[in-house]
Amino acid sequence: MSKFFGKSMIATLFVALMSGATFAAEVKSIAILTPEEGTDFGWNQQGVDAAKAAAEAAGIEVVVASGLGYGDVRPAMREVAADGASLIIAHASGYATAAPEIAAETNIPVAIVDSPNALKKGLVADYTLSGHQGAYLAGRMAAKMSKAKHVGIVVSGEPPSWNSQSAGFAEGVKAENKDVKITYAVIGPAAYSDAAGGRRVTESVIASGADIIFGQGNGSSFGMLQAVETAKTPDGGKVLFIDVIGDKTSVAKEHLLTSVVWDITPVYTAMINDLKDDTFGTKRYAIGLADNSVKLIKTAQIPDDVWNDIQKVREQIVSGEIKVEPVFEATAVRGLMTDVSAAAQ
Amino acid sequence: MTGLFSDTFLAALLFGAVTAAIPLLLAGLGEQMSEKAGVLNIGIEGMMIAGAYVGFVCAFYSGSLWVGFLAGAAGGMVVAALMSLLCVRLGLNQIVIGIALTLGLEGLTALLYHFQFSRSYPRLPAAETLAVPLLSDIPLFGPALFRHHLIVYLAVAMVGVMAWLYRRTQFGLNLQAAGDKPAALDVAGIDVIRTRTVAVLFSGGMAGLGGAYLSNVGAGLFIPFITNGAGFLGIVLAMLARGRPIWVLIGAMIFGGCLSMTTAAQVAGVNVPIDVIQMLPFLAVMAMLVLFGRRASLPAALGIPYERGAR
Repeated sequence: MSKFFGKSMIATLFVALMSGATFAAEVKSIAILTPEEGTDFGWNQQGVDAAKAAAEAAGIEVVVASGLGYGDVRPAMREVAADGASLIIAHASGYATAAPEIAAETNIPVAIVDSPNALKKGLVADYTLSGHQGAYLAGRMAAKMSKAKHVGIVVSGEPPSWNSQSAGFAEGVKAENKDVKITYAVIGPAAYSDAAGGRRVTESVIASGADIIFGQGNGSSFGMLQAVETAKTPDGGKVLFIDVIGDKTSVAKEHLLTSVVWDITPVYTAMINDLKDDTFGTKRYAIGLADNSVKLIKTAQIPDDVWNDIQKVREQIVSGEIKVEPVFEATAVRGLMTDVSAAAQ
Repeated sequence: MTGLFSDTFLAALLFGAVTAAIPLLLAGLGEQMSEKAGVLNIGIEGMMIAGAYVGFVCAFYSGSLWVGFLAGAAGGMVVAALMSLLCVRLGLNQIVIGIALTLGLEGLTALLYHFQFSRSYPRLPAAETLAVPLLSDIPLFGPALFRHHLIVYLAVAMVGVMAWLYRRTQFGLNLQAAGDKPAALDVAGIDVIRTRTVAVLFSGGMAGLGGAYLSNVGAGLFIPFITNGAGFLGIVLAMLARGRPIWVLIGAMIFGGCLSMTTAAQVAGVNVPIDVIQMLPFLAVMAMLVLFGRRASLPAALGIPYERGAR
């Protein structure tokens, strides 16, 4: 009996080890699905570029399905699942409902955003990211450089990731100089492609006195950029723009002050490793200043002394001396802006 | 808070209201003629985005906004020609075709833009404005209302032209008859199909012009889906206007004004949830619907294809 029991234990252990080895070997490719083309100098481009980089580092294939829009992406997900993807990255908050359904249907793991409570071991992971630490630095920089002592935040919607950056920026401005006014304006409900609205609202914020605009808007951010390039402050001064997630330096040299750039590669790399380790769907992923997955870009508009000061603040955040907590709720963000506005008056 | 509301800021708000209203006005005037003739042009959004794309491309390469406006109007008319072929000539369902055209044009323009500009995102310089003598010097209102591109004044002038056309010309009567009693028009020896075709082509041209204005002046650039539902708002305005062009203008200005008020309220830090503030333009349109929509009378044959001899 004991002999049989011992053999059974060995057999079970062998099967368990082999199944683990088989699981690891099955991570052959990843697929990323994006709502817009991966050439937007923003969220979609950073996602696609990161997926390619992570796949290359892991020696696996990557399938990119971009420009899928915000409608029903289930057919596209089924297609990449049928093609043998080991992981489907659903790179839009609007995909967070469909992707877990596809995971349950096909048994292929999915990664979604803006749904931190949807984790399911082995099947569903969430990567709601926040560049709030970088936005805080951008706020410190804006407060230092604003000649009008008035900055603006323009957003085309209020998803959690953007809220945390708006809050981080406002906190940075306040920390640097509490007398700097902050004007906060939302273009419209889900106005992600409303470039004309982005320009109109940004021009109004500039006319209210702001000379630095922190903009978050997908396609509409090009309308914000257009406003910054064509409008002047009430006293005839130049207006500068702070972008997020991507790097628009190549298309906006003269008015781009900086950008809070995200590198999502470490996140996707961690997901691939978690798949291999069978820990996928058990934890959340984050980006930050410490590993440079969030960073500010240096442009010609930033004086060296300002840049050096900001780098010192960065080190204080990395060391934990300064703590910047994410604020995801829109109500809390708006409350913060109201407080800032009141304090400034 | 009051310090924020300088003349410069208020002028920017009013200027923005006019800029937001003009595409709606142009699309609404076009839709109004189409509906008068009995064709429910749901494809106006698609015609707008076609005009926005073609208008931007032509303005960008030619360096002339006027070339862009003309090309945008032509682009809208090409789509309208397809709509008139399918719905007026062949009698297919106007709603289905309109939606199909809109979806198709959104996809096509996004695809073309991706191939051409997705690495460069070109933008146009600020549009030159024309200051109306004396009026443009009025404090606050002058810079906001009387310093715009010439196309803005022409768009407003179109309201008078359309009113004259509908009330004083034989063609205006033909349009009315094509929408209310097409068989009677036919009996009178007027070609119903031709009358409706002209109306749809005109609506496409106006929508395309509105789209070109949106991309060339409103945004100064094109991005996929830039119209963001402006064409559908134009349809609503046309329906509420009860066939009167002046109400299209009033509705468009109310909507544009409300958009600017949402910005003003946010900048002022009004302690109301932004979601509520942003409902303002749509609430205004709904209020118009309740106040005036009940008396709205749409053409009796609206949306019904005309077939000679059919009962």
